[in-house]
Amino acid sequence: MRTRLAPADISRPSDRLSHIEAGDLAPLPSPYEDFNATAIPPLKPEKVRHIETSLDDTVALAIPRPASPEEEEARVRQFLSGLKKLFEKENNWTFLQPLLLSMEHCAKCQTCADACPVFEMSGRKEIYRPIFRAEVLRRIYRKYLRPGGKIASRLTGDIDLNWTAIARLAELSYRCTLCRRCAAACPIGVDNGLIAHEIRKLFSQEMGIAPKEIHDKGSIQHLKVGSSTGMKPPGAKDSVEFIQEEMREITGWKVDVPWDVEGAEILLIHNAGEMLAWPDNVGAFAVIFQAAGVSWTMSSEAAGYDVVNYGLWYDDVQFSRVAVRHADITRRLKVKKIVIGECGHAHKALTVVADRLLTGDLNVPRESALVTLADIVLSGKLRFDPRRNDFPVTLHDPCNVVRSMGIVAPQRRILEKIAPRFREMTPHGVENYCCGGGSGFALMSGHNFADWRNRVSSRKKFMQILAAFENEPAEVPKYVCAPCSNCKGAIRDLIGHYHAEERSRLYYGGLVELIVNAMADMKKPIIRFGDEPSWKA
Amino acid sequence: MGLYVLTYACALVFVLAMGLRIRRPIALPVHVRWELYPVRHETAERVAYGGSYLEALNWWERPDKRSLWNELKYMAPEILLMRGLWKENRRLWWVSFPFHFGLYLMVAAFGLLLLHALLALGGAPALADGHPLGRLLDGLIVLAGWSGLILGNIGCLGLFYRRLADPELRDYASFADYFNLGFIFLFFLCAFAAGLGDPSLAGARAHTLGLLTAGSALEASIPGPSAAGAAAVVLASLLTAYIPLTHMSHMVMKYFFYHSVKWDDAPNRRGGKIEAAVRENLGLRPTWQARHVGADGRKSWREIAASEPGEMK
Ligand code: SF4
Ligand code: SF4
Repeated sequence: MRTRLAPADISRPSDRLSHIEAGDLAPLPSPYEDFNATAIPPLKPEKVRHIETSLDDTVALAIPRPASPEEEEARVRQFLSGLKKLFEKENNWTFLQPLLLSMEHCAKCQTCADACPVFEMSGRKEIYRPIFRAEVLRRIYRKYLRPGGKIASRLTGDIDLNWTAIARLAELSYRCTLCRRCAAACPIGVDNGLIAHEIRKLFSQEMGIAPKEIHDKGSIQHLKVGSSTGMKPPGAKDSVEFIQEEMREITGWKVDVPWDVEGAEILLIHNAGEMLAWPDNVGAFAVIFQAAGVSWTMSSEAAGYDVVNYGLWYDDVQFSRVAVRHADITRRLKVKKIVIGECGHAHKALTVVADRLLTGDLNVPRESALVTLADIVLSGKLRFDPRRNDFPVTLHDPCNVVRSMGIVAPQRRILEKIAPRFREMTPHGVENYCCGGGSGFALMSGHNFADWRNRVSSRKKFMQILAAFENEPAEVPKYVCAPCSNCKGAIRDLIGHYHAEERSRLYYGGLVELIVNAMADMKKPIIRFGDEPSWKA
Repeated sequence: MGLYVLTYACALVFVLAMGLRIRRPIALPVHVRWELYPVRHETAERVAYGGSYLEALNWWERPDKRSLWNELKYMAPEILLMRGLWKENRRLWWVSFPFHFGLYLMVAAFGLLLLHALLALGGAPALADGHPLGRLLDGLIVLAGWSGLILGNIGCLGLFYRRLADPELRDYASFADYFNLGFIFLFFLCAFAAGLGDPSLAGARAHTLGLLTAGSALEASIPGPSAAGAAAVVLASLLTAYIPLTHMSHMVMKYFFYHSVKWDDAPNRRGGKIEAAVRENLGLRPTWQARHVGADGRKSWREIAASEPGEMK
């Protein structure tokens, strides 16, 4: 008898399609074994009474339950209408060709399964298998939208379409971090990450269903007030003013952040979350640029100081709006190029994906800060004392920067120069593992989603970090360098969740902080391990 | 004659269906970039670790340096030897490789048979008794034919075994998957049985010659194919027509996966071809229904991208 779930089971009503028991998850090494015996804290019944929760142990979307069978039917029709649009050029020219190829050519060889950290870490729970959700979509598409589908589906794989299946599929598209490790492993080139992305789009663009953290509080807020953090232009300027003061203490000289300078060489755009959560990162950029004599500016126009583009993860329309805003601001400032701060998804959004969206003078040159920084660090313009970074360092590669953009070497060239105790994770570069916070997960924490993330999608990264430092004594402070705001958010949560600061003395931060920390003429270290400075002045 | 007609009809279906398959991705609008590194037309130094031109300072000031040749150099062994599968899923490679390579060898053997038939029709002296070139061609036909048959049969059996024995594969296999495999296996089996009665594949040579002349060039003294041989011809013809109608066309479509998606990193330059295609795409009129989109079937992508979400109005 078959005990494992199959794609067709998605439409069979039950309270919960899949559940992770304590002990199912891939075991963590010492001193974290105590976590191996604990399960994901259950959802609180009183909080989820009116929302769809029948997929697994968590919820990302909190879709309201339809009030009547008629409403369910209407939603099923809406879903099918959206699905059809995914295959029309008017509605989906952006991804039509890659989607069609991936929909039609999977050989079901399961090579991708071993590449997926979510599937592996969950204890190989069937619903997280990369082709599970792809196969659900494929079967629905074939059966309900292709001529003769009802008969053909008996031969190619059947599935029933009902509201249960749809609600679960929507949730399931948010159990994949879009890291595309599976696509890199697929011998044919099928991209299950892309299929998850397209499912998210269908729900957002047709049915208005998306996680509130990335839509209402994310891309909508970004367009409305200027930043997905909710920070308006005066707030951004205030934060930076405060950061300048902080930097003055570290450098011993006055640090200036130029605003709205027309014709500057560089417009630097940060993930605005840095200003609030990691102000040293914003400050460190200013220190480096100023010390290297770079002509640069920041923009105080709404959206001009926040480079995020959450649309990348779920909605082409929101994506286009934000990308056009960024390009328009740059064009009007007449700068030579945008330099994108330490934010992985913004790298891919603005440099790569938006490339086939921006035309004429909106198509302004865009560059990764890692490239700009490598040029400065290796140019000899700054003096370094690498002994100041005399602590173990490992590097987390943001998927969007490596696998999706091929920017792999510049950050390593920098680390080789300034971090004498740098060591790689295994694997790294284009074969890296996601931090588990990709595709918006780092921002999503409703109900118990953060618990699910820390235990499942970020688990592989945690194990990789521990392995990178396995030969270091527990009491030695260790630095995980993560040049991406969302990755930092996920790693911060991991460290907190597993008490890794107390147990392994794990700390994390960006790349610019390491650079400034090694600059020979700094008065104080910018990196601290708790209360302890990383070097003595 | 019936066999020839069937083969001609199937070849026609193959050409039409494959043509449509290939035309479809080519005719689709330019899509946004979604490349995946390593991108194989990069410089050798960058390919080694998966780097891109985006690693260069002011990359837009540098000339494009991509080479289709580098792509093909990577893709040929990838398609022929299944290098990716070897790296990522070796257990499956041991059965999948003989299966696929067996099919490629069958195609190669057929190509050689056609060459032989063309030479024969042209009265080429190379085919005269004892001529070394003729012997070489005969040898190659036998080598490609027999190794293809042996590998194909082993591969089919191995794939059947893996699909049935491995629950991960079994759970996702549909009737169509078993049918496709069974179909190919039946062909390999019949061809193998026909070969046992005709180890030098003289029947195959005669049949191919007949194929080019609708049977008129055959001497009456040459006997018709054996039952197994006829079955192999029928199955091979049907298979030729069937493959492009199914996902098994991935052997060819892989080119598009790689060339048009995974490695499509061509930057959009002002005034260039990509920009013109993007402008055209921006004129398309979507009909997505969610409120924030604000589409009504009349507004273009360009207008919508410049507008505010419905929630803000
Ligand atoms: S997506 Fe690729 S690797 Fe995964 S099962 Fe399909 S063909 Fe195999
Ligand atoms: S994109 Fe990443 S998380 Fe999603 S299925 Fe593929 S490997 Fe798993």
